Amino acid sequence: MTRHPGFLLVAGWALLNGLLLAVLAIYGESATALACYGIAVGLLALAALAVLASSVRGPREHTRYRLPVRPGSAVLPLAAAAGLAVLAYPYGWWLLPIAAALLGLSLALAAHDRAARPRRSR
Amino acid sequence: MSLTGTADVEPARHRPAPAPGGWLGWLTTTDHKRIGLLTLGTSLLVMLGMGVLALLMRGQLAQPEEHLVGPQVYNQLFTMHGSGMIYLVMTPFALGLGVYLVPLQVGAPVIAMPRATLLGYWLYVLGAAIMLSGFATPQGAHSDGWFSYPPMAARTYTPGVGSDLWIAGVFLATTGVILMAWAVLWTALRKRAEGMTMLRMPVFSWSMAATCLMVIGAFPALLAALALLAAGRVEPAVFDSNLWVIGYQHLFWFYGHPVVYVMFFPYLGAVAEVLAVFSGRRFFGYRGTVFALLVFAALSMSVWGHHMFTTGQATNDYYSLTSILLLVPAGVEYFAMLGTILGGRLVFRTPMLFALAFVPQFLIGGLTGIMVGTPVLDYHAQDSYFVVAHLHYVLFAGSAFGLFAGFYLWFPKATGVLLDERLGRWHFWLLVVGTNLTFFPMFFLGYAGMPRRVVTYLDGDGFGLLNLLSSCGAAVLAAGMTVFVVNLARAALRRAPRAGDDPWRGHTLEWATSSPPPRLNFDAAHPLPPLTSEAPLLDLRRRAADEARGAREGRGAREGRA
Repeated sequence: MTRHPGFLLVAGWALLNGLLLAVLAIYGESATALACYGIAVGLLALAALAVLASSVRGPREHTRYRLPVRPGSAVLPLAAAAGLAVLAYPYGWWLLPIAAALLGLSLALAAHDRAARPRRSR
Repeated sequence: MSLTGTADVEPARHRPAPAPGGWLGWLTTTDHKRIGLLTLGTSLLVMLGMGVLALLMRGQLAQPEEHLVGPQVYNQLFTMHGSGMIYLVMTPFALGLGVYLVPLQVGAPVIAMPRATLLGYWLYVLGAAIMLSGFATPQGAHSDGWFSYPPMAARTYTPGVGSDLWIAGVFLATTGVILMAWAVLWTALRKRAEGMTMLRMPVFSWSMAATCLMVIGAFPALLAALALLAAGRVEPAVFDSNLWVIGYQHLFWFYGHPVVYVMFFPYLGAVAEVLAVFSGRRFFGYRGTVFALLVFAALSMSVWGHHMFTTGQATNDYYSLTSILLLVPAGVEYFAMLGTILGGRLVFRTPMLFALAFVPQFLIGGLTGIMVGTPVLDYHAQDSYFVVAHLHYVLFAGSAFGLFAGFYLWFPKATGVLLDERLGRWHFWLLVVGTNLTFFPMFFLGYAGMPRRVVTYLDGDGFGLLNLLSSCGAAVLAAGMTVFVVNLARAALRRAPRAGDDPWRGHTLEWATSSPPPRLNFDAAHPLPPLTSEAPLLDLRRRAADEARGAREGRGAREGRA
């Protein structure tokens, strides 16, 4: 396990929160509050598992950096799509098709960039 | 998402394609330094705007029965000032510092998930624009405070699209911050250079790791709270049930307390770096501080109910206990800071001045926090100006001073230019005077019973003099921030004096590279030094000094024998 210090950090921190949650339950807090904290501890446990999975799969990630070779042109339409999607809440659902079109544009740009990327060297 | 080539050990073999130049290059950049600078710059711009809102409020409160703005506008001012400073300034600035600095400090050539980081920045910008656009709507911006409790924030009592825009904007900005936090955390956990063990990460990087853990643990609760508020504004019957009214408060404060530490830890980390560098010695009690940061962060997830003492629907004993327990890790951090200063060769440059002021000023904010974390005192101070004073001592007298300490420290690294020292000192002293003159009288106002969020007060209330002092302090703060802007403009126009790679004799890896750093952070001209501790450059200098001394003594001995 000492080969996975990142996992230990996140899992330990989740565990500490789990202990605090247990003490809160002993104090008799409402189910709403316990659920709130419990879900957060669950999220942290999932984060710890994600770190562990990454660590097991690629223990030497620090010597194999994934370098972005092209600018993030797909990001701008993706952000705009997200912006329009949340604006559908105050201004109506008619904005969603426009957001979907922007999402499509973003995916197309991403696919174009992916096709242009260099072969992986391992 | 288009991604990457992977480089085996030598990033230089797979250089990124030349980025488009000019503004498009910045807008679509995957360079963590540019994304960090965009985030920091945007936050600072919003901060100036939020300062103007604060000045309007202080103008309104300078005298009894003033009529500078009406009640409805005043409600919008305090709501957008508080929301803006928390959601759009202090939190994104903290994450922006992490995006810029953590890859440099752990010796990585890039940040993890650069496109997600860029997306995070754009979601933040769009969120800010949407939130602030409420001012342009017929009924104005949102007006229910930064926590926007239902049923007050439901459509029945707060009609108008400004509130909906506020919900949408905060949702987007927070999502962006979560993405940035993931990228920073992943970089610290998985992208460290070979030899950079976890316990060789600088205190600032540790403070960012703790911050990001809180973000991924607590911030989704805000998204859930906003979704609940949005649902309640569509269907008002939702808030007929106490379950959802009190449930909203639990969800909100589950985010709302950790966010205070998200707005504090990175600045504490910056102060720790400044104190060590300008004391000319290693940070005292490094391991204890790291442990204290993690315990502090975990405890901060468990104290949220102290914001709900007066609802009668929270387990006050537990929340009071965990709130007071915060004193232990906070005390460890304070002793570590003081231990660093004591016995050091102090150099009083602008970053150090801000860091030194942070120490006592934040203490006032922290200790008054313990006071309102105690139910019997909180019942008296709840919703009064005492709370306003406390939170401003934490977030302005504390965090903002840490922010400026870090800003003056790392500005030369990011730009290659030193800020003017004389103007920096003016900025510092005006901020010290302005901060304490503005916020200290508020403790007495609150204790005497002045409620927060009131548009005016009567002459006979006896609040006039203290409010006038507070408003004068706000004017001094404005003067201080003007000096800061002039200093920035001057540096941008003159591009001098040049800083060099390491103007402060720094301890951590970012000072080993050029100013500003190259695209992949370190290159042949600026290689990574041996990673021997959390202060590798200090080790390097000491080793060089020892070798030089040894060589001198050896030469002396040879000459003696001859």
